Amino acid sequence: MASQNTPRSTPPAPRPPRRVAVLGGNRIPFARSNGPYAKASNQDMLTATVDGLVARYGLAGERLGEVVAGAVLKHSRDFNLTRETVLGTRLHPTTPAYDIQQACGTGLEAAVLVANKIALGQVDAGIAGGVDSASDAPIAVSEGLRQTLLAANRARSAGARAKALAGLRPGHLVPSIPENVEPRTGLSMGEHMALTAAQWGITREAQDELAAASHRNLAAAYDRGFFDDLVTPYLGTSRDTNLRADSTVDKLSKLKPVFGKGDGATMTAGNSTPLTDGASAVLLASEEWAAEHRLTPLAWFVDAETAAVDYVHGDEGLLMAPAYAVPRLLARNGLSLQDFDFYEIHEAFAATVLTTLKAWEDPDFCRERLGLDAPLGSIDRTKLNVNGSSLAAGHPFAATGGRIVASLAKQLHEAGGGRGLISICAAGGQGVVAILEA
Amino acid sequence: MTKEITLDGAPDLRRIYATAALRRGNASDTLPDVRYSRAGIRLEVDDVVAYARVCRFPVTGTLPPTYPHLVAFPLQMSVMSGDRFPLPLLGAVHVENRIEVVRPVDVHEPLDVSVWAQDLRPHRRGRQVDLVSEVGVRGEVVWRGVSTYLSRGAEHPDVEAVEPPSTEALTGVSGGPVWRLGEGTGRSYASVSGDWNPIHLHALTARPLGFPTAIAHGMYSYARVLASLGPRLPAAGLSSRVWFRKPVRLPSTVRLRTVFEPSRSLSVLENVKGDIEHAVVENTW
Repeated sequence: MASQNTPRSTPPAPRPPRRVAVLGGNRIPFARSNGPYAKASNQDMLTATVDGLVARYGLAGERLGEVVAGAVLKHSRDFNLTRETVLGTRLHPTTPAYDIQQACGTGLEAAVLVANKIALGQVDAGIAGGVDSASDAPIAVSEGLRQTLLAANRARSAGARAKALAGLRPGHLVPSIPENVEPRTGLSMGEHMALTAAQWGITREAQDELAAASHRNLAAAYDRGFFDDLVTPYLGTSRDTNLRADSTVDKLSKLKPVFGKGDGATMTAGNSTPLTDGASAVLLASEEWAAEHRLTPLAWFVDAETAAVDYVHGDEGLLMAPAYAVPRLLARNGLSLQDFDFYEIHEAFAATVLTTLKAWEDPDFCRERLGLDAPLGSIDRTKLNVNGSSLAAGHPFAATGGRIVASLAKQLHEAGGGRGLISICAAGGQGVVAILEA
Repeated sequence: MTKEITLDGAPDLRRIYATAALRRGNASDTLPDVRYSRAGIRLEVDDVVAYARVCRFPVTGTLPPTYPHLVAFPLQMSVMSGDRFPLPLLGAVHVENRIEVVRPVDVHEPLDVSVWAQDLRPHRRGRQVDLVSEVGVRGEVVWRGVSTYLSRGAEHPDVEAVEPPSTEALTGVSGGPVWRLGEGTGRSYASVSGDWNPIHLHALTARPLGFPTAIAHGMYSYARVLASLGPRLPAAGLSSRVWFRKPVRLPSTVRLRTVFEPSRSLSVLENVKGDIEHAVVENTW
C-alpha cells in the first residue's frame, strides 16, 4: 500500500475494450420433464454439457478465466452449483466459477457477464451456461413446518423444544412445490401471456403457424447435421424429445386452449413451451486466446441490453421487456431493426414472439411506450428462428440462452457473415437482448 | 477344453450365498476350466443413477469405471460357488482389484460379460486366485477387471508378499477429502450393487464371520476414490489398481490423500489419524 507521503500518481488510462469471440457451444438434447432425464440432477446435466464442450474444444486440463452458469429451479444444496460442476469436469480445478439467476434470461446474461470480462481484459476465455430440471425440482417443507423446526432448533431446553414441536399441525406436512407463478400477481406466466395476447389481438392461427414453423425448422436443422457439433447425446437421447417433425398447423389447431378464458382463448400446449430438462454451455474468448488455441471465432459478441417492465401496477405485459430492450440496443449501435440477417426471438409462447413483433410495428406503442418518432417496423419473417426455437426444442429455463447463442453464432459463421439479434423474455417482467456479428 | 456356461439372466446371489455356506472347498490345486458368460445385457439407467448417487459419481451418460464390476460380480460368484472350485466362497477376502477402462461405455450399450478364474497360487496366509472379467460391446473389449480373492488356510511363510507401491511419494501430501462413512454404508452399497455379503450389512451379521462391526465393501471405497479423482483421470485408456489393506469398520471417518504425476496417480485411503491404511490405489494411463 502506498504511504501517505508518496505523491499520488494519475491512474493508468483504461484499456480499450477487446472483441469477444463466440468459439462454439454444446448442449445436451432437451427433454420434456419426467422423461429420460427425470433422475438427472442439474449438476449432472451441467457437468455432462461442460465436459462435452471441453472435449469438443480440447480444453481438458485448461484453467479458464471463469465459468458462469445458473439454474432457475435450484435446490438450496446447490448454492455453488457451477463451481461444483467445474470440479466434476476435466477443466483444471483452479478454474473459478459462480452462479447467477435471472429467470429465463440466466443463460444469455451469463454470456453477457463473461463477454464483458473478456472485453475488459479481466479474463481471456470463459464458459457461460445454464441448466434446468423441471423433473428433479426442489420441493421445500411448508412455511409452517419450517418455522416450527427453526423454533425447535433455537430452543435451549428439551421442554422448550417439545413446546415448539407441539405447534406442528397436519397441514404443515403438505410440501411446498415450486410453481410457475409470478409472486406479485398470483398469475402463471401463461395466464399473463394470455392477457397480453388478447390485448394485442394475436390470433390462434398465427400462433399455430409459428409453432409449426419452429418444429419444421428444428427438424430440418437436425436433418442437415446443423446440430452435429452443437449437441452431445445424453442418457440415450440424441434429439430434443419435444420435437415433432410432422407437426402441422392442422394438427396444432385441434388442441384445446390451456391459458386464457372462453372463446377468446388462443394459447394451447402446442403453441406454448413445455416444462423441459436440459443444459447448455458456450465458449467465449478473446481473439488472442482463440488464435493461441487454434480455434476459429464463429461470431463476435457485440453488445447486449437488459430491460424490465412494471407488469405489477403498470399496464405492461409480463413478457414485454425485450420490446423495450431492443430499441435501446439498436440506438446505441446505430442500427435499425431491419439491419439483421437472423433474428432469434425466444419462443416462451408463440404469442410472445408475435406480440413483440407487433409492438415494434405499432406507431402508438413505439411513440408512447418507447419514445420513438417512428415505429421500428416489421422484420423479414424468413429470417426468424431459422433453426427452430423453444416451441420445438423445449425450454429448460436457464439453458435457453446458451442454446441460442451457440446456434446463432454457428448460423452466422455458416452464412459467411452477417448480424443476428437475440431476444429473450424472463419472469419478473425482464428481458435480455444481444447482438452477434460474424 | 474350456467349458462355456452361458447364463440368460443374472444368477441369484442370495441362493449362491445360501448354498456357499455349506461348501468348504477342496485341496485341489487346479482350477476348473470353466467360463461363465452373459450376452447382450441391457442396463437400467435408474440402477446406474442409484449407484452413481451412492458412490458420488456424476451422471454423465457413461458408466462409472467401477460399474462393469457389478455386472461381472454375480458371474464371479457363480464361478467361485461351482462344485469343483477349490476355495470356499464364504470367508474369501477381496485383497486386490485391477480395472482397465479401454474406452468409456455408454449406459445404453448392450454388454457381453465373461468371467473365469485363473492363477490359483499360495499366499502367505492361505491361497489366492484371480477372477478375470471381460466386458465387450459388439465384439469389442471395452473393460477388463481382475479381482484377487484370498482364502485363509494353510500358511506359506516362504511366499513373498505382493506389496502395493511405496506410498513414500505421498509423504508431503497432507490434505485431501475426508468422508464420514455411516453405520449404514454397507447396506446402501448392497442395495445398489447387489452384494449382500453379511459382513457388510450389520454388526450382528458381521460378528459370526469374525468382524466386530460391519465393514465397508472394498469396491465401495474404491469407487469413492475413483469418483473423487474422476475428472483428473482419463476417460479412456485407464489402468487402475487397488490394494485392500485394513478393512474400514463402520461407522468410520476416512481421509483420501493423492499425489498426481504426469501419467500416474497414487492415493491412500486411511483413517484420519493416519495410522491405518485402508486402501492404496494406483492409476496409470
